[in-house]
Amino acid sequence: MTSSVIVARQFDDSDQQRQAADLGIWVFLASEILFFGVLFLAYTVTRLHHPEAFATASRQTDVALGSINTGVLLTSSLTMALAVRATKLGVRRAAIVFLCATAMLGLVFVAIKGTEYRHDYVAGLVPGLRFSFAGPHAGGVELFFGLYFLMTGVHVLHMLVGLGVVGTLAMRAARKAFTPEYFTPVELGGLYWHLVDIVWIFLYPLLYLVSRT
Amino acid sequence: MHPRGRFDERVLDRRVHAMSTASVPLRSNYLEAGFSLWSWLSSVDHKRIAVLYAISITLFFFAGGAAATLIRLELVTPAGDLVSAETYNKLFTMHGVIMVWFFLIPSIPSTFGNFLLPLMIGARDLAFPRLNLASWYLYVLGGLFTVGALVAGGVDTGWTFYTPFSTMFSNTHVIAAVTGVFVVGFSSILTGVNFIVTIHRMRAPGMTWFRLPLFVWAMYATSIIFVLATPVLAMTLFLIAIERFFGVGVFDPALGGDPLLFQHLFWFYSHPAVYVMILPAMGVASEIITCFSRKSIFAYRSMAFAVLAIAIIGFVVWGHHMFVSGQSIYAGMVFSILTFLVAIPSAIKVFNWTATLYKGSIRFDAPMLYALGFVGLFTVGGMTGLFLASLALDVHLHDTYFVIAHFHYIMVGGAVMAFLGAVHFWWPKITGRLYSDWWARAAAIVVFVGFNLTFFPQFLLGYLGMPRRYHAYPPEFAVLNVLSSAGAAVLAIGYLLPLVYLAWSLRYGARAGPNPWDAKGLEWLTASPPPVENFTTIPVVTEPPYAYGEAERVHD
Amino acid sequence: MIAHPVPPVRTYVAVWIALIALLLVTLGSAFVPLGALNPAINFAIATAKALLVTWFFMHLRSGHAMLRITAAAGFFWLAILIGLSMTDFAVRY
Repeated sequence: MTSSVIVARQFDDSDQQRQAADLGIWVFLASEILFFGVLFLAYTVTRLHHPEAFATASRQTDVALGSINTGVLLTSSLTMALAVRATKLGVRRAAIVFLCATAMLGLVFVAIKGTEYRHDYVAGLVPGLRFSFAGPHAGGVELFFGLYFLMTGVHVLHMLVGLGVVGTLAMRAARKAFTPEYFTPVELGGLYWHLVDIVWIFLYPLLYLVSRT
Repeated sequence: MHPRGRFDERVLDRRVHAMSTASVPLRSNYLEAGFSLWSWLSSVDHKRIAVLYAISITLFFFAGGAAATLIRLELVTPAGDLVSAETYNKLFTMHGVIMVWFFLIPSIPSTFGNFLLPLMIGARDLAFPRLNLASWYLYVLGGLFTVGALVAGGVDTGWTFYTPFSTMFSNTHVIAAVTGVFVVGFSSILTGVNFIVTIHRMRAPGMTWFRLPLFVWAMYATSIIFVLATPVLAMTLFLIAIERFFGVGVFDPALGGDPLLFQHLFWFYSHPAVYVMILPAMGVASEIITCFSRKSIFAYRSMAFAVLAIAIIGFVVWGHHMFVSGQSIYAGMVFSILTFLVAIPSAIKVFNWTATLYKGSIRFDAPMLYALGFVGLFTVGGMTGLFLASLALDVHLHDTYFVIAHFHYIMVGGAVMAFLGAVHFWWPKITGRLYSDWWARAAAIVVFVGFNLTFFPQFLLGYLGMPRRYHAYPPEFAVLNVLSSAGAAVLAIGYLLPLVYLAWSLRYGARAGPNPWDAKGLEWLTASPPPVENFTTIPVVTEPPYAYGEAERVHD
Repeated sequence: MIAHPVPPVRTYVAVWIALIALLLVTLGSAFVPLGALNPAINFAIATAKALLVTWFFMHLRSGHAMLRITAAAGFFWLAILIGLSMTDFAVRY
């Protein structure tokens, strides 16, 4: 029944091993919520203190690119979930296709983000490197963009790690490493990917939609 | 759902079958499974990793102690004549950084937690052995960054890294130091993940939650804090580095930021962190006190719930470090009330240890001396915390030696004594050797006397108004400072003695049997030192913990 | 042998459609001046999206109760961090 699964010596059987992995990744994801949470508090406090500045600053972001990127990430979560599903069902080809699709969408996200960063640099909106915004509430605008680069920067770092993970999973899937009995790495990679998506789900309105009226 | 804890015959059959057909013979014990340095540095055996941690934290303990020695030497005289003010700032910073993050926080969990947790629940190892080894390497890497900061000239911000000084004005190696702490934080997080999953999923048949030793409950509660608090510290330290490097300004009032934001974030972690330091010590105390009174713990369930309550309530009291910082008085009131609440489960535990001792058959071996010292000194430290929890009193006491005495009573009189108690209790199990009773008890008494002589005068100094973090002070504080420094010398001797007789025992001590203390607990069922796989057959648990019976007490 | 039933593709696609719809609503509502209601709507929609992702894509629906407790704990603790800090910031600003 479990012939294809290697059970590590500390576990009784593959069920225990899988349940341990599931609980372990969720405990780790809980820690990630707190990790990003610090930035959300910093944002909340600073926005509370500088509401008009945040409104002004948010209008400088590219809502079209930000919204497209949100759609891209949400779709990548779909393809990732379908990849996990295909792996569980033993449909290897579909799993590889969906994993590659996830990675592609992730790359699109990073590319669009890079484009936004480049625009911001040219427009002089990067605190500490090149900041030349001279309108009203400039101080608060600088704080907004400091937080913007911090939050999206840490998020994009997590995306890059995620791309590495998904890419590795695709390669291993191509080498027939996963079966309906053993798909734990794909499940865990998927959960990580979805968490990074959830972080963006909250970042998006905070950074792009503060004052569009 | 794979059944855990409940006696599942299918599981037992599979294990017994596996045992009888095992083709690989068990090595004699984990210490003999490879003698090369590489066999130690690459081992995923939780027992070896525990020993690696033990050696590393001991080194850091004496490094932090060296800083303390210089501090107490300076404070022998009122004038700032031994070191400059700047150097003094660096000394108390490094003392705090090293002692908090590289000694106290990992001490009991990463040494005794790692070694004992699988044994106590009847498992072969933790859930994720490679993650365990990775956590030690992260500890070492973090330590290297911090030592690097020290060697390069030190840091002078205080272990609390308050902004805007740390982000804007300090000319010392702040980024190197916070990087070191950032890295070691992930060591804690990985340990926490490992412990939580292990306790949930890998208990032996019959080991239900309410048959777990209280030490395991303590590890569980501690791990909750590791996982939920440490990430906040990590990101906050990252923010210091970003602010220092790019001048972003979230903590800078001149740019529209708020320095109190840093303090809220810092203390959201650092207050629960002190419960990371004390909860494992409480777990140790429960193990030792039951064994050396030959009695079951009084009110087991309340003890288990109390550690959970301390861990959870400990997350909502952090503002009591900020009563005079300028935070709103409303926040001050909320945090003050919550802080009084957190004292309740701690007090329940002290009452229950006392009730456990009552009518027990008490033996004053070295572990028990440390455990009794722990209960008394922790109580003093805890009660003085109530003074500080009161808003009005804290206005007078904040940033004085009263605070220093309060937390040293808990962290040193409490946590360090419990750590030493654990060392003396489980030394035979870990090393397979017995140490000199006489020297161990003498050292415990020296530590107790030295500790009180060092820190009790500091309560008086604080009450009289001597501020902390000053290398010079008015002459009227001289006598109490001299007493404190003298005490520190005695305390140092007390700490050095175990190095001598414990090292001696490794070579010349009598060999220990499986259970030299006649204690209850699954770890005492296996050989000393344990075999690599911990148990020849996984035990099946049928009795409650601390089943020290009536008959024993009658026979003494 | 599969431990948990695997949802059909249409479940995942339906969730995705809901997510995109919510994205369009949050984007669209941002251009409608509703005062303090705008951030509230955005936050509510973001929460709804997160719940859809955790419940369906992350399989919390079919997972063991302990996994749901762990996820809830993470968000609850974040609520403590932000909420209790507000006793200071919301009063001072």
